Amino acid sequence: METNKEFRHYLLGFVLATVLTIIPFTLVATVGGKIAFFALILCAILQLIVHLRYFLHLSFKGQQREDLQLVMFTGLILLIMIGGTVWVLGDLYNRM
Amino acid sequence: MSFSIRKSLHPGLNLGEDHGDDHLEAETSVFGFWVFMMSDLVTFGMFFAVFATTMPLACCPGPKELFDLGSVAWQTAFLLASSLTSGMAILTLKQEHGGRGACTKKLVFWLLLTVLLGCGFLYREISDFIAMAAAGGPPTRSGYLSALWSLVGLHGLHVTGGIIWCLVIVAGILVRGVDLRWKLTLLRWAVFWHFLDVVWICIFSFVFLGGLL
Repeated sequence: METNKEFRHYLLGFVLATVLTIIPFTLVATVGGKIAFFALILCAILQLIVHLRYFLHLSFKGQQREDLQLVMFTGLILLIMIGGTVWVLGDLYNRM
Repeated sequence: MSFSIRKSLHPGLNLGEDHGDDHLEAETSVFGFWVFMMSDLVTFGMFFAVFATTMPLACCPGPKELFDLGSVAWQTAFLLASSLTSGMAILTLKQEHGGRGACTKKLVFWLLLTVLLGCGFLYREISDFIAMAAAGGPPTRSGYLSALWSLVGLHGLHVTGGIIWCLVIVAGILVRGVDLRWKLTLLRWAVFWHFLDVVWICIFSFVFLGGLL
């Protein structure tokens, strides 16, 4: 039934997000180091996708308007501005 | 005039065909709110960029002295749970309020539960702020601490705004019933609330967990 399908959709997103939260917290509290760092970044990116997909209902199919492009354009702007800031100031720091 | 109603008119959960004209009305208002939300994300992004260019100085307490991993885990749990309950509220709106005069009890229950979880988050966050200031890390101590307090504080202000907004919606629904105006407000509030959790993922990953590594 449509009703149950939508409910399960949210619940699946919630379970995935919970797992992707527990993994980095456990790794940082116990293992630490480089492995935890890379796992942390990977889990964060995966969880962002889970939230956009299951809670905010964004997907590559079924979007009639340029909704996904709006989000991806914002992502590009963020990438340029944050990446640029860190790059320029990191470079200055290394020259000091 | 007969034309087929498209299922998805705007990003996020759509009201759907059961809601008739209300579904069509939602298109401009919710899409416009998404554009605002994206500009808000850029604001957060710049706070992140400023935070990324600062580092804890030897003079002042750093992440290891200031952060409480257990408390951050609690805040994450509160916010994630509230994301689910706000989703349940919107799902209730979509599935049970297509016609007029549906019972609002279930909808109000999910909204108030979301408010409660949001308050739990805020309580933990403010306690952490007080503990941080007491441990010698007020925002005036260093550039790193200023950036930290602004970024986490900005998110906290957003959560406070989201809670007030939700209470206004609950009051509006109880007085006026679930009419078109409150339906559209609920849809926008849900997008706002979900994005608060999206921003929090970045904060707990890069600020708190990243800082403790």
